Amino acid sequence: MTGTVQVPTWVSRVTKHHLFWPVVALVALWIACGIVSPGFLDVKIVDGHLFGQLVDITRNSVTFLLLALGMCLVIATGGIDLSVGAVMAISLSVALTYIDNSGTGEQAGTALIAIALALAVAALVGAFNGFLVSGLGIQPFIATMIILVAGRGIALAFTGGQITTTHSAPFKSIGSGFVLGIPTPVVIGAVVFAAVAFSVRKTALGMLVESIGINRTASHMAGVRSRNITWLVYVICGLLAGLAGLVYGAPTMAADANNIGQLMELNAIMAVVIGGTKLDGGKFSLAGTIVGALILTTLDRAVIIFHLPSESKDLFKAIVVIAICIAGSERLRESVGLRRVPRLPEPPASRKSVEVAA
Amino acid sequence: MSLTSDSAPVVQMRGITIEFPGVRALDGVDLTLRPGEVHALMGENGAGKSTMIKALTGVYKIDAGEIRVADEPHQFHSTAEAQEAGISTVYQEVNLCSNLSVAENVMLGHEVRFGPFINWPATRRKAKEYLARLNLDIDPSSQLGTHSIAVQQLCSIARAMVVDARVLILDEPTSSLDKAEVAELFAVVRQLRDSGVAILFVSHFLEQVYEISDRMTILRNGRFVGEYLTAELPRIELISKMLGRAGDELAAIEAGAQRVAHDERQGTPLLSAVKLGREGSIEPVDLEVYEGEIVGFAGLLGSGRTELARLLYGADRADSGELTLFGENVKSAAPLSSLKGGLAYSTEDRKREGIIADLTVRENIALAIQASRGIWRRVPAKELDEVVDHYIEALNIQPPNPNMLIKNLSGGNQQKVLLARWLATSPRLIILDEPTRGIDIGAKAEIQRLVVELASQGMGVVFISSELEEVLRLSHRLVVLRDREKVGELTNGPDVTSSTVLETIAASGSDAA
Amino acid sequence: MTAQTVSEKLPTKKTPTVQTSQWWRRLTDRRYLPTVGTVATLILLLVVGQLRYSTDDRSFISARLFSNLFIDNSYLLVLAIGMTFVIISGGIDLSVGGVVALTGLVVAKLLEGGAPLPLVLVLGVLVGTTIGTLIGVMVQYFKIQPFIASLAGLFLARGLANMIGTTAIGIKDEGFASLASWKIKFGEKPDIWYVNLSMIIALVVLLAAVYLLHYTRFGRTVYGLGAGDNGQAAGLMGLRPGATKMWVYVISGTCAGIGGLLFAFYTKSGYNLSGVGMELDAIASVVIGGALLSGGVGYVLGTFAGVTVYGLILTICNREGLEIWWNRILIGVILLGFVLLQRVLVAKRR
Repeated sequence: MTGTVQVPTWVSRVTKHHLFWPVVALVALWIACGIVSPGFLDVKIVDGHLFGQLVDITRNSVTFLLLALGMCLVIATGGIDLSVGAVMAISLSVALTYIDNSGTGEQAGTALIAIALALAVAALVGAFNGFLVSGLGIQPFIATMIILVAGRGIALAFTGGQITTTHSAPFKSIGSGFVLGIPTPVVIGAVVFAAVAFSVRKTALGMLVESIGINRTASHMAGVRSRNITWLVYVICGLLAGLAGLVYGAPTMAADANNIGQLMELNAIMAVVIGGTKLDGGKFSLAGTIVGALILTTLDRAVIIFHLPSESKDLFKAIVVIAICIAGSERLRESVGLRRVPRLPEPPASRKSVEVAA
Repeated sequence: MSLTSDSAPVVQMRGITIEFPGVRALDGVDLTLRPGEVHALMGENGAGKSTMIKALTGVYKIDAGEIRVADEPHQFHSTAEAQEAGISTVYQEVNLCSNLSVAENVMLGHEVRFGPFINWPATRRKAKEYLARLNLDIDPSSQLGTHSIAVQQLCSIARAMVVDARVLILDEPTSSLDKAEVAELFAVVRQLRDSGVAILFVSHFLEQVYEISDRMTILRNGRFVGEYLTAELPRIELISKMLGRAGDELAAIEAGAQRVAHDERQGTPLLSAVKLGREGSIEPVDLEVYEGEIVGFAGLLGSGRTELARLLYGADRADSGELTLFGENVKSAAPLSSLKGGLAYSTEDRKREGIIADLTVRENIALAIQASRGIWRRVPAKELDEVVDHYIEALNIQPPNPNMLIKNLSGGNQQKVLLARWLATSPRLIILDEPTRGIDIGAKAEIQRLVVELASQGMGVVFISSELEEVLRLSHRLVVLRDREKVGELTNGPDVTSSTVLETIAASGSDAA
Repeated sequence: MTAQTVSEKLPTKKTPTVQTSQWWRRLTDRRYLPTVGTVATLILLLVVGQLRYSTDDRSFISARLFSNLFIDNSYLLVLAIGMTFVIISGGIDLSVGGVVALTGLVVAKLLEGGAPLPLVLVLGVLVGTTIGTLIGVMVQYFKIQPFIASLAGLFLARGLANMIGTTAIGIKDEGFASLASWKIKFGEKPDIWYVNLSMIIALVVLLAAVYLLHYTRFGRTVYGLGAGDNGQAAGLMGLRPGATKMWVYVISGTCAGIGGLLFAFYTKSGYNLSGVGMELDAIASVVIGGALLSGGVGYVLGTFAGVTVYGLILTICNREGLEIWWNRILIGVILLGFVLLQRVLVAKRR
């Protein structure tokens, strides 16, 4: 899907691919980091485990990726899910509160039940969002804003207003463990990505989601179960957000309902958009969300490498988003089909070089 | 005083050329508009009519050529500039703000002011005056979107009068109007013409063009074919100039879709509705459609044709009566279940309810079969390719590229893709709602021929069209609707003509009063 | 589309509207229903408050109540008014919370450095205007979706605020303090109430917004932008949707700047973490005030009512002595209630 098709005009094909600018930005960032901090690009194997800055970045990007995958599908249906950050907080609060109360946190069974419980609650919240959107026909922005506003309150209600801290090695391992030398979160991210990509592209879900996002009425008239599909997509998004909350919170084992997942909905949306999916719905790119998630995580890391105050990372995010949006803005993007679509004659694309500051 | 055709032209467009990436949309086209004249701009879809209008109104920048208004060269950069020069447009799809009030839509840009404030009461009064000149008595503070398309169109014309237009462009103004409304509109057009306004009229309805226009300019494939006096150009010649084909070839197309006149009712009906109705949408209707039969819905716009079709397909829920599809009683109809049962409905509004603009032709064709299979059972690529290739060839979809985005096809070809979508589900009964609206003559004839062919293969067809002639030519049986009520049923035959149908409509009118 | 044509083809003979029924017709007009719902809820909340919290010698509904309400929420009102423009135009502005923080810090930092007060106040507002302009340029000239453009604006504003300082900076400037605490006293004990500078500024902004949105061509163009076709119709009508779209964000940014100033008056400090989620409060108030997020529908006075409802909910929460997280949950529930109410109204008028 990265579009390096070897045809005579491959250069123009590649530069017009929707992932071109995001990938260029990511590589440029990595190279810049590599120059400033020579060890940046090294990946070592210590005790059979992969270590290195890139490994860290990949591990940290999993939270964004999980959120962005669900968000990407939701956005493709023409919706948006603002509640994912709050869902992260709820899911982590549920899991840790359960472990805390069970008193048998070190048993794998307890951890599994906690995870299942947390994911079930997350899926339930997703179902609630989906019901508001597809069942009652409320605008997605406002429907999911309800959980965004109320969600942290709910999470606080679970933890009783405390920051719940507890111990559970099996639970902790989903955030900081290794599987065959690869960090567990990376494995989780890869498995989830594969599962989502498979179920979207190997079934008709992808096409139907796109058709709903482009023209809901027409899709309905063609017999597409637009309500059920929309609903399903919100449930998936909630579920993945719940999982993201667990992966994110597991290393610290502290459910800080006020702060976990703060602004995550915006980061997730940003990852999706950087990855080349339009907010209007319709065509979407799952591969793009990986790139988007990696860019965001790299930025966080780059700030440290460049010895910049860590407070400035928001600024860089803003600059990168602006740069990528402008580079990919209409002249370049409008006539270019967003994904695997053969193109029509199109206006001479005006090339603007992206200046990726960092 | 009547202005003669030799009076000085108000608009002269010479050698207009507009290029889009890869396409030359207009290539050296001329157009001259004279005051006090209705000038028709003719051409098939894609001939460049809309582009020409947009060039004149400043929506598109011209790449070559010259526009002179009242002998002054002009280069418009926006509609606002064109309007200042006295050129106003009433677009095909009403292009006003439906969420604003009538008064606002009519007066915006010329509202009555009180210091820095808009004086709303005075603005509304003034709007009412302008509307009254068009015999339109509606509350100016009501929301535009709550009115019918016809009223909105008149509001659009009222707006043109407010800006004191010297040139009024009417782009397909009648495509959503019924006969009475068209007559009303034409009265207004004549009134404006007589007051010295130059009117550019674009329409697919040839009768209307002959009724209203004094002169016409014909375009084909973005090129100028010629300018003619309407009275001196026979219809068949007009068509052949538009199509660039010889006259006898056209006769053959006409013959291909000849009137069929026999009763096809055999066996059990594919569909039968008993007192099927929906409050506020359509009064209870009895209807039967048999195998191999073409049933035409005849009636003016707003007579309930589409509303009835939607009930049959399950797009709207009926609140009274019974519906039997293929021998089975339908409890709660829905598009998906109808489709699975073998009933397809090609919607009236191609853009809003038909095409998925950003998907390819292939995906658009696949949509309905895929939907009836469900999410998880994807139609195998090979099977789909066969289906798509088959229909692209059978329906002569141009260009024959399944991977093209459907939004880049012409209207006629979009319609064919939609037909392919429905036919691919192998329906036993298909409802075609305005399948020929807004598409060129060639494609129209092809679709008409296809309808006849489908019926002869045993498919039931419900055919809906605003063009009575077309319904009469194709249908075995006609269901006549008026004011959301079925008012009669006619078996087609040599003695059934458009006047018979109109009589049926008119006769019921007296009962209703 | 054809669903409504018959009943009124060409209404040549419609009975003239009876003047007396005009206001009632207006009230039930589909355009006004959401706002009517807001006002009804406002009254309901007031009645509930009156019944629950009034004591023999003190009525819940009093000038004091409203005075406190707007002392606490005048900044939100200004933010919501700016947001109203954006939302009616069919856009969204997520940057306002960030702008509030940035404005506050800029003001605090400049005053700390001894800059003259009037200049500081103007610069504070201009901070908002600048961010708004930037968003407007991105939306209008680069065709970036408002959501993303203003998101970038939010990160930009927060990032800049973080760069200025990560601790709260108290404002000790005397001139500023006297402006912040200036107020006129009304009434007698125990019913003393005040009008402070923030309330007056908010009122001025409110009146200016009513004028701009309801009495100018610009305002009508804002509605035209929200008609659902991205301003095409407005453009074809000879209005200037492009420039208007850009101005809408400039207005919202400026309002956010003013809001930031008012917030600084309120807290007498600047802090990079202030205003987190404030954009949501503003959006929620606008929605509660009867505007549709899809654009084209909404009123400045509706927003005023929306902010009042919002403030009343917080007041009532407070009076009930609920744990702090219940605030969020309750506002969520009320928002849900409003959304459902609007949904029912929309369904009914179809």
